[in-house]
Amino acid sequence: MASFFQLLVSGLATGAIYALIAVGFTLVWQTSQTINFAQGEFVMLPAFFILAAMNAGAPFWLACLIGIVLSVVILGLLFKFIIVDPMLKYGVLPLVISTIALSLFLKEGAKDFYSSQAQPFPSLVPATDFHVFGIVVSLQSLVVLAAATATVVALHVLLTKTRLGRSMQATAQNPTLARILGIDVNRMVLYTFLINGALVAIASILISPIYLAKFTNGETLGIAAFLAAIIGGFNQVRGAILGGVILGVLDNLSAAYISAQYRGAFPLIILIVVILFRPQGLLGRIEERTV
Amino acid sequence: MSADAILTLDSVFAGYGKMTILNGTTASIRRAAITTVIGPNGAGKSTMFKTVFGLLPVRSGSIAFDGKTVTNFTPRQMLDAGAIYIPQGRNVFPELSVRHNLELGGVALPLQDVLPQRIDAIMERFPMLREKANAQASTLSGGQQKLLEVARGLLLDPKLILIDEPSIGLSPLMVQEVFTILKDLRDKGVTILLIEQNAKQALQMSDYGLVLEQGQTRIENAASAILADPRIAQLFLGGGLPQTAGAA
Repeated sequence: MASFFQLLVSGLATGAIYALIAVGFTLVWQTSQTINFAQGEFVMLPAFFILAAMNAGAPFWLACLIGIVLSVVILGLLFKFIIVDPMLKYGVLPLVISTIALSLFLKEGAKDFYSSQAQPFPSLVPATDFHVFGIVVSLQSLVVLAAATATVVALHVLLTKTRLGRSMQATAQNPTLARILGIDVNRMVLYTFLINGALVAIASILISPIYLAKFTNGETLGIAAFLAAIIGGFNQVRGAILGGVILGVLDNLSAAYISAQYRGAFPLIILIVVILFRPQGLLGRIEERTV
Repeated sequence: MSADAILTLDSVFAGYGKMTILNGTTASIRRAAITTVIGPNGAGKSTMFKTVFGLLPVRSGSIAFDGKTVTNFTPRQMLDAGAIYIPQGRNVFPELSVRHNLELGGVALPLQDVLPQRIDAIMERFPMLREKANAQASTLSGGQQKLLEVARGLLLDPKLILIDEPSIGLSPLMVQEVFTILKDLRDKGVTILLIEQNAKQALQMSDYGLVLEQGQTRIENAASAILADPRIAQLFLGGGLPQTAGAA
């Protein structure tokens, strides 16, 4: 039982990070039809921004701040203006291919310009364990869980409790109607890209101490975000959160109790079951086709 | 005739991609009146509305609204000029509450401070909206959603309402209610431009009618005159039916 709780907490922590990545992925998809296949690399990269800033002498907290800002500018703003805007004119498929190319570029770029070796990444907290009623919980897992939850809650408050957030939701749900009401749709879309830039940077800071900063990190993270979004419902932010958490917990528990060798298969089994029985995702809504 | 026109289209060409739908449409819509646009499927009725409201580019020709040239204005600019557009079908944000849907209708208000009062006044006028203020818009019936759309547009105190097929999917009772609201607005000086599939019924409550065919104005006249015009039946029988059969 004790180890179950440990696994659950660390699973929730991983799941919360997946959720962050999936939420950004879903937001960008909803507002701009961008299926960002470079999302995993977007999480991989900020860790290297931070390491580079630290190499240049910045303290960890400052480096994190620089990493987040660079991520918002490069992976948010520039990504939209240099890749998404010009490519989207030609349709969704050319854009998808562009993001696949971008993912390769970022991966190889990190390898060539930084290092092909996994880099140790500073942890937010020292590696100590808690003992609560005989259950051992790592402080790291708790902090990751708390930070990711706080980020998701903050985003949720922004999206639902502020008018700006509701304008963004409106843009995601029906961009044409949003335009008809006078909402500045382009600006709302830009905001979602900037938010995604911040989310991937936070995810990068939280996950890199566990995974180490490595140019290949994006491969698993990108797939995890993609699966989480599909399982939870591609058109729902809360679906992406649920999908991420399910994936993280399932990953840890199945590895421990069923088979470590097949841990990679379980998310895919869930994916198939969801697609078969609830193709819109667990919390997704069925899209109405409009003429 | 053009002295009391609030909206005029002068040889407007517009369409989608390579398709030209408006083929030099010329029309002049009278102020503080209800004008119904009728015509067979594909005549360009909805395209005309979208083009006026800036959702489709004007390829040539010009549009004037309330004394200003508004050719190729953006939807936001049209809102600022005093026009609103209520498209066909369901136009609410299903996952937002009724109150938040209304609130988004006020995005284009120049003075944001007055928005809460305006929303309050609108809820006074449509008590159903106050009752359902915190319910998700998706829980409203089709008629209630249409009322919400109209109410949302009224927040801006528009001079011109472009409304595309408001009666579609509504019960006869609800259709009556929507039409009563539109007449009431007309009496207060608002110009209503309407598209209706049920041309006869719509013309009976309209002041003017505009018959569009193949993207051109065929007839512009008082609604009663159009109802009495023998050519109308011919237009609908001659132009409408084969196209419907072809599309099916």
